[in-house]
Amino acid sequence: MIRFDKVCKVFPNGTKAVREISFEVAEGETLVLLGTSGSGKTTTMKMVNRLIEPSSGTITVGDKDILSQNPVQLRRSIGYAIQGIGLFPHMTVGENIGVVPRLVGWSSDKINSRVSELLELVGLSPPEQFRDRYPTQLSGGQRQRIGVARALAADPPVILMDEPFGALDPITREQLQDEFIELESRIQKTILFVTHDIYEAVKMGDRIAILDQGEVQQIAPPRDIVESPANEFVDRFLGPHRFQLSLMTVRLSHLIKSSSLSLSEPEEAAETPKKRLFVRNSLIEALDLFKEVQKEKMPVWDQDKQVGVLSMEHLLSAVGTAFQRAGVEQ
Amino acid sequence: MNEFFSRYGEQIISRGYEHLLLTVLAMTLAVIIAVPLGIFLARSQYRTLVTTIMGIVSIIQPIPSLALVAFVVVFFKLLGLPTIGLAPGLVSLVAYALLPVLRNTYTGIRQVDPSVTEVAIGMGMTPRQRLFSVELPLALPVIMAGVRIATVWTIGVATLVSLVGAGGLGDLIFKGLRSYHMDSVLAGAAPAALLALVLDWALGALEQWLAPSHRAQ
Repeated sequence: MIRFDKVCKVFPNGTKAVREISFEVAEGETLVLLGTSGSGKTTTMKMVNRLIEPSSGTITVGDKDILSQNPVQLRRSIGYAIQGIGLFPHMTVGENIGVVPRLVGWSSDKINSRVSELLELVGLSPPEQFRDRYPTQLSGGQRQRIGVARALAADPPVILMDEPFGALDPITREQLQDEFIELESRIQKTILFVTHDIYEAVKMGDRIAILDQGEVQQIAPPRDIVESPANEFVDRFLGPHRFQLSLMTVRLSHLIKSSSLSLSEPEEAAETPKKRLFVRNSLIEALDLFKEVQKEKMPVWDQDKQVGVLSMEHLLSAVGTAFQRAGVEQ
Repeated sequence: MNEFFSRYGEQIISRGYEHLLLTVLAMTLAVIIAVPLGIFLARSQYRTLVTTIMGIVSIIQPIPSLALVAFVVVFFKLLGLPTIGLAPGLVSLVAYALLPVLRNTYTGIRQVDPSVTEVAIGMGMTPRQRLFSVELPLALPVIMAGVRIATVWTIGVATLVSLVGAGGLGDLIFKGLRSYHMDSVLAGAAPAALLALVLDWALGALEQWLAPSHRAQ
């Protein structure tokens, strides 16, 4: 859990980077700090692990005021992943991942098995093939996966991610985002995620805090931000592609809850499908999946339980409703 | 050829040994002084002061080596110290070797990518851990380049300190020049050149051993 209470940051040259920010990231939640460069989003994040010291206000991680803790100990208890170049070029993949475990004094056996476990977790298997390589011998996507693995290494409850997929090509970026969402649903971490990309924000965030000039403009779940922007700035930030954003933010679970999407009774599947449609999937993900499997009907799953069957027809009418709403709001 | 070796062999060995000893001693002292100083300057908060110091250091660099040896002798005289022997020779060598090592240590540490340093801090390394496991390994190729340049120069300057009675292969060279014995000149010059090549190669091997293949890609 991370809490900001009236936090300000004024740099020595007088720049007010952050003005009276208050928000909370609940346990297991991913909060995205979204804004243009100079909005104060990175400054806000770096105050959590005291790379930047707040000028006033209180920040608590877990239940402890960060200023009451030794900064070195504090940082070791918080995962930290940044864009591309953050890997140590003179260390192998295994050494990079093992940095924090080594700092906190794990045995080398424990570190080795943790490295293998993490390499498998981020999709770099078999681990033996990657462990002894140097970062220069990896592709951008592989390096980024190592960055994520390194942030998870000592199993910290809180993770800070500063545009971790920023330096990648669009295809690799999307692939890594999808993998990370999948990974995150299994490991349940409290995550503060910084990005300037609205599409990344709606995809990754349980909630989004939109920052401008060091102030929070709106903090809400992606769907609420897209459907009811709090002010003119947020409205402008969302840009012209409202319909696309609402397809990304409206999840099947939202529609099922408000009974605007009807499912037929669960049926016994003849075969186990390779790809499953989940209630947490967005409309666009559902559309993509229907297109991929080329079927008229698909069972919908909540974790390991089937909740019903969705027909293409019903899905398309839900998409139509979303289109009308996006049209009306503009 | 046999005659040459029977005549100069013993001297080549003993003067060569002196030469090597002078070089190694001077380089060891230079590294002990310059590397910590370079690290200290690179990490110092007082940027203007540091830039000034590095500026002054760069001014000393182009002074011709013979002139530097002469300055050291004058300096020793002013202080009332012996102007002949090992001490003034060694001081000249150290002063000359200091600069490339200092400059390269400073540059090497300064050129470490700030985002790498920041991530090291962000992961919870203490300043000491950051220095030894991130900054120094990344600066090592640049520092070693400085040490190699300084070593080759020192072998050259060490032929000159024979003039102040510090010994070395310079003894053979200057004796030969004065008495017009070219074989004596050669007996001093060739081993000095060979020594420079061998030490440069050895330091290159040492660097490879210290910093493994990450740069080889």
